[in-house]
Amino acid sequence: METIVLGIGITALAGALATVAGAAEDTESDIGSQGDPNSQVQLAPQMGYIHRIFNKAVSGEPPAYGLWCALGAGVAFAFLQILHNPALAIILGSIVAVFVQGVYCVTAYLGRTASLAKFEQPVYIDVVKSLTPVTMAHAFVAIFCTVTMCYLMAEFLHHPFALPLLGLVWGIALGAAGSATGNPFYGKERQYQNQNFGAGVPISASGNIVRYAEAGQRSSLDNGWFTTKFAGPASGICFGLIVFLELWRTVLFEHELGQWGAVIIGFVLIVIFAIIDLWVEKWSRTTYGPYEKAEEASS
Amino acid sequence: MTVKMEASAGGIPHKTLLIGGLVTAVVCIYLTYLNQILGVGYFAFFGGIAAVAALWWGSDTIKHLCSYGLGTGVPSAGMIAFGTGAIAMIVATKFGIATPIVAVIIAAIIGAIIGYIANEIINMNIPVMIISLTELAIVGALTMLGLASMACGSFLFENMITNGAIVTAVGLSGAENAGILVANIDATGTLIGGCVFAVIFMLGAIALQHPFNACLGPNESQDRTLMLTMECGFLSMIPVAVISYAYLDLVAASVSLVVSLIGFVYTLREYFRLSRRDAYAWLDAKPIREVGGEQ
Repeated sequence: METIVLGIGITALAGALATVAGAAEDTESDIGSQGDPNSQVQLAPQMGYIHRIFNKAVSGEPPAYGLWCALGAGVAFAFLQILHNPALAIILGSIVAVFVQGVYCVTAYLGRTASLAKFEQPVYIDVVKSLTPVTMAHAFVAIFCTVTMCYLMAEFLHHPFALPLLGLVWGIALGAAGSATGNPFYGKERQYQNQNFGAGVPISASGNIVRYAEAGQRSSLDNGWFTTKFAGPASGICFGLIVFLELWRTVLFEHELGQWGAVIIGFVLIVIFAIIDLWVEKWSRTTYGPYEKAEEASS
Repeated sequence: MTVKMEASAGGIPHKTLLIGGLVTAVVCIYLTYLNQILGVGYFAFFGGIAAVAALWWGSDTIKHLCSYGLGTGVPSAGMIAFGTGAIAMIVATKFGIATPIVAVIIAAIIGAIIGYIANEIINMNIPVMIISLTELAIVGALTMLGLASMACGSFLFENMITNGAIVTAVGLSGAENAGILVANIDATGTLIGGCVFAVIFMLGAIALQHPFNACLGPNESQDRTLMLTMECGFLSMIPVAVISYAYLDLVAASVSLVVSLIGFVYTLREYFRLSRRDAYAWLDAKPIREVGGEQ
């Protein structure tokens, strides 16, 4: 019984850490225009829209966060062999990972922007100076929370994987959750606030991203301001639920039905979520209906 | 990604990069064997140099492969290179002194098979697919072998599953010995047993795909991309050097760290210089210059 109580406690803590990690990850990637919104930021100068948006194309978010979290976990794992102090090891691991992340961000922005010289897009070096520390800070929160969560799993739930491999797996999951849940808020909404709501992005509007703010020119910090409120929490809930439900089903049902309990509960959860998704989609389609042109709507 | 990718013309021919990268990587991996011969650890950093050389060649291969319109395929190319290379590298570590050569051969075979499947069975029909994936598999295997030997001081399987002391040349006689070692030691904290290998995998894969992915565009230039490759290689060496504090002695790990830092700082400065050269303008806190887009 005590093991189950401890397991449930660890599950709840890991879920909470994952929620924070998901929110920080998505905000970081949106400030850096990483993931799919990156293509429009990259395209804009080619269509004649010079901008001051941070364009750090390291790779998709899942591989990038796979690296940052695996690196944080790997360095923490190595320090655990020497220091035997988990808190210090995880912090040092996250610092090394964030250092690597920061360098990758800077080189990605410089590389992409310098290669767009033909379209007269200048390198705004103040964008790098002011926004790289912001993304690094968010990445630190995301990496630290994920590595701590992985440590809890390895140490207290006795997960068969070693810490670095857990970091890799959960890092990829974190990137995938942030990319799938959070990016639409930035890529489909924030970048295209100049388009009619629900109009999608017509080909003629490709690259015509919002470049001016309420006052002055839009920087990626404005995008972070927007996505922190909407995309971040959504990604946080997504990743938190993934981690919580995954651990919950394992802790409670691992030894049921000849070890198959957790697997069956996993399938049941997938079915439940599929039903919820179906319901939400049907509800939103019937409520909002297909997109109507402005004239029809006003008449 | 919607940007049209054009591989820059001129510069160093690909064959030169191939031969230079391959030879340097294999020679540098062999130089880590000095650790076994002399019973020390501070030649481990040659493994990192080998990884830099392999990546240098590999990023040019990625450029050739991805100039066939593989937009989002740039990061994927790095992953498949290291996925195929990982198998070859782990198998090869069981071959004792022949490990680097065997890694190249096995990686070439696996890469060619994967390239054939991609091109002929999945019908991707890219002329350079088979040769590029063969090259990338070798790059993946050599980079991982290099970084792994940097972390634990040796390219032998015996060292990757032991924590700390390097098995010296006297103490190894191939695979039989490794079998005995596996049975007798606790490998949970080691490079392979502790999955530190996963870190090396990701470090290499991102370092391989990043340079071309970051520099693609109409004004991509080979010297800048290759400089960024070296910067990524040295950057990857830094965490591996930090990890090697767990497996090597203080001096050896510190030597690796210092070499990585020197290489990293130099290549980063050079990359900044080349970016400044290629950029349309280098502005600090200046407003948007309108060139014809909608206001």
